[in-house]
Amino acid sequence: METQALIIGGGTTGTGIARDLALRGISCILIDKKDINAGASGANHGLLHSGARYILKDSETAVECRQESLLLKRLAPHCMEDTGGLFVALPEDDDTYIARFPELCRTCGIDCQPVDAAQALHMEPCLAPDVKAVFAVRDAVVDPFSLSLDNAADAQANGTRILRNARVEGFISHKGRIQAARIRDTRTGDTFQIEACQYINATGAWADKVAAMAGAHISMLYSKGSLLITQSRINTRVINRLRPAADADILVPGGTVSIIGTTSLEIDNLDDIRPTMDEVDTIIQQGAVMVPALATTRYIRAYAGVRPLVKNGGDAGRAVSRNYTLKDHESEGLENFVTITGGKLTTYRLMAEKTADIVARRLNNRHPCRTADLPLPSSSKGAWTEPGKAPRSRAARAQSPGPSSGNTLICECEMVSESMVDRIVDSLKAEGRPPALTEVGQRSRIGKGPCQGTFCSFRLAAYLYRTGDLSGDQGLSQIREFVNERWKGLMPLVRDRELVRMELQESFLCGLFNMDADGWTPNP
Amino acid sequence: MDPKPMTDTVIHTQLAVIGSGMAGMAAAIFARNRGITTVQVGRTSEMSFASGCLDLFSTLPGHPPRVFADPFEGIAALVKARPKHPYAHVTQDQIRNGFQEFTRFMAQAGICFHGPDRDVNQQMITPAGTLKPTWQVPAAMIAGARAVAENQRIGLVDIQGLKGFGARQMAQTLKTKLPGITGATIAFPGRETAGDLMYERLAWDLETPAVMDRFIQRLRPHADPVEVLGLPAVLSLYRFEAQRRVLEQALGRPVFEIPTLSPSVTGMRMKEAFLGKPGGTGHHHFPVAVSGITRDRDGFGFLVTRGQEPVEIRARYLILATGRFLGQGLGVTADRITERLFNLPVTQPSGRAGWLCRDFFDPEGHPVNRAGIETDGFFRPLDAAGSVFDSRMYAAGSILAHQDWKREKSGSGIAIASAFRTVSHLTSS
Repeated sequence: METQALIIGGGTTGTGIARDLALRGISCILIDKKDINAGASGANHGLLHSGARYILKDSETAVECRQESLLLKRLAPHCMEDTGGLFVALPEDDDTYIARFPELCRTCGIDCQPVDAAQALHMEPCLAPDVKAVFAVRDAVVDPFSLSLDNAADAQANGTRILRNARVEGFISHKGRIQAARIRDTRTGDTFQIEACQYINATGAWADKVAAMAGAHISMLYSKGSLLITQSRINTRVINRLRPAADADILVPGGTVSIIGTTSLEIDNLDDIRPTMDEVDTIIQQGAVMVPALATTRYIRAYAGVRPLVKNGGDAGRAVSRNYTLKDHESEGLENFVTITGGKLTTYRLMAEKTADIVARRLNNRHPCRTADLPLPSSSKGAWTEPGKAPRSRAARAQSPGPSSGNTLICECEMVSESMVDRIVDSLKAEGRPPALTEVGQRSRIGKGPCQGTFCSFRLAAYLYRTGDLSGDQGLSQIREFVNERWKGLMPLVRDRELVRMELQESFLCGLFNMDADGWTPNP
Repeated sequence: MDPKPMTDTVIHTQLAVIGSGMAGMAAAIFARNRGITTVQVGRTSEMSFASGCLDLFSTLPGHPPRVFADPFEGIAALVKARPKHPYAHVTQDQIRNGFQEFTRFMAQAGICFHGPDRDVNQQMITPAGTLKPTWQVPAAMIAGARAVAENQRIGLVDIQGLKGFGARQMAQTLKTKLPGITGATIAFPGRETAGDLMYERLAWDLETPAVMDRFIQRLRPHADPVEVLGLPAVLSLYRFEAQRRVLEQALGRPVFEIPTLSPSVTGMRMKEAFLGKPGGTGHHHFPVAVSGITRDRDGFGFLVTRGQEPVEIRARYLILATGRFLGQGLGVTADRITERLFNLPVTQPSGRAGWLCRDFFDPEGHPVNRAGIETDGFFRPLDAAGSVFDSRMYAAGSILAHQDWKREKSGSGIAIASAFRTVSHLTSS
């Protein structure tokens, strides 16, 4: 395979770069070792920062967040919910910081309005009654899945090819120039090569490893952040704790749920990223100080992502800059390799623009960046990832008469119908690969409701067999994979109610279906 | 001195069975057969998840798991590996007698179970396209078990719009084990364009002979090339045997049902047989949860409601068959697993961190599933000091410690065997 630019990493940054380059007329291939948003892009708060969180430690990031969030609200409104946000201080929070907060916001140009505590409790009844200071800021909520899928769809519409399950295993270089990337198809095990003029490393926390394959060096720190999803939506606006950044101090609403997080835990291995029971307990305990209902509410799932932080000195954890790092690697003698990592979801577009500028310059492409003025088209690909969206659209359709065929629900918790699955499967197949259950799950709400895949994984598999998209006995291993993906998020949460759910699920999968021991033959 | 009655209505009974799952049902049946007056309480909703088959034992969890064709050979190995397992307290004869008595009752109530010819587990086709080893199979499903054993050409048919049951999925998944198996889809007569089909509707529709005739016509092309036909369980909750015979006669070959994912019709039929009239145990049954059971020298006392009216139950003996987390026999308080009615000590992993495996399907099984209450050899719960908590109180079924029924495929067997042992013992005392 040949292309002008090979983009490695299908997160928000990678898909953003693909769209940016494609709009400049540059041919691209985007690859991801797993799937779109399989890394940190799919495991964050979905918060479009006003910038106020970074005013103390990182004013540059704060300003970028302010500019980019305003831009994205205008250009990609279908991926957003413009909720607004509050910063709230509790009795134990530092008065000096509270006093400085409005001034620091002003310095960064961030809109920040004081709110009377009683008024704040009226706006957000879930708040702890003893809040002592509240400010309103212009935070918003973004669905990172629909954002990345829409960027990917527009890139594809402009000629980009996307390959899932394609992992870089190495580069073939000659005199400082990479000639080809060696790729392995992680589903089939096949290897192949992609020859490109420019190679873009947008692999997030894996950036140091991919750079090392190209002979470049980046010193990184992996900071795991875990979050919890509540069963129902608790708050209307984003609620931030008004204190220097710490654990579990942001509660973000999204569709029909709320998300509380995060933690910051330094790890040294990226192989099995999952939230721990300790983190879950910390989040609930800390979060409940700000929003007491978090101590008693029901949680659907926990998840974790890794912040790709680049070390520039002796700082650790939360002290390391949230700003992005863009390296052209020219001082290391590499002329067609670039790395972009770090940064925020909020600033992904800017990161993509800066990266694309380098790549376009190297390719002698004079077209300017268009992503700051062209709206992001809404695609059907990213349409079904937002909590609560599918039920709303279903309810709207039910008002109009018409045949109900194709409306059979595969996921009853989140109301995902066969026709929605059809569209997702079609878009996956258009990328030249058969769909996997986890990939359909990634692009919809299937498995993300209270049953956590117990029923819908089977219904989805049965449906895909019926349509001919699954065959042989691959369904069983795919159901196991799907269930274990959900289990990862359920296991650290397990207490009373979760044990009930787990017992029901295990009764079906192991007690009734024998999925734990099927395939083991009886002792002679 | 008599305690003051709490209400106007008092039912005095020899035995109270707390729980209406498989173990509670079995205990009520055994008590009825021995002429013991019994009051049973507890919701029966869990039976809607039962497969309708009766498992005994097949798999000793571990790395790798050991699967036994002969369940009794397996139980011998199990008891050696886990000497405190509930099966360690029962003999092979007691297990066999318990099953015999249980299935005889079910036969009178309309569900005929078929055991294997030799002591070898039968294989049931599941909606996942797996084979699940089981001991006793109801008549509705027996043709499937025989077809698997004899490797016949099996045709599976699913119904468009009936979810959680994919004939193609099952056939393709089973192909390596059963090369002759095929899968096909039909539209249900009169409901060709419907979205979601509900089991109850289909069962009701099939009671109309004209619908049944068209159903048969649509099945015929898929039945003709095969030796035996498998369908999702959509026949009536009550007239299922007569309906199945109609199908078999019209199609000229054996027909069997496979339980759908949820609800499991074959499990619901067992519940109906148990509670229904005629048949049934004839006991008082209150489908409510109880709490606040008192103990005194005469026995046990608690309140239930019948309609709006409170009823006081006074029982000499009590069998605790409240199940695990789903049945709310066990719960969690401050990250410790607790027994909900008497606060009996629960054997469990030392902390919450030790409850679960990272792989949901870890063949060792999650340690939390072996948590439960300790008993003596007659299934009488023990207190914290290891003495019998109350000599008039017994426990049966999945609340017992040291078993993992989901992994062992031993749920019905543990329920029936422990209930049998329990009722036999209290009868003799």
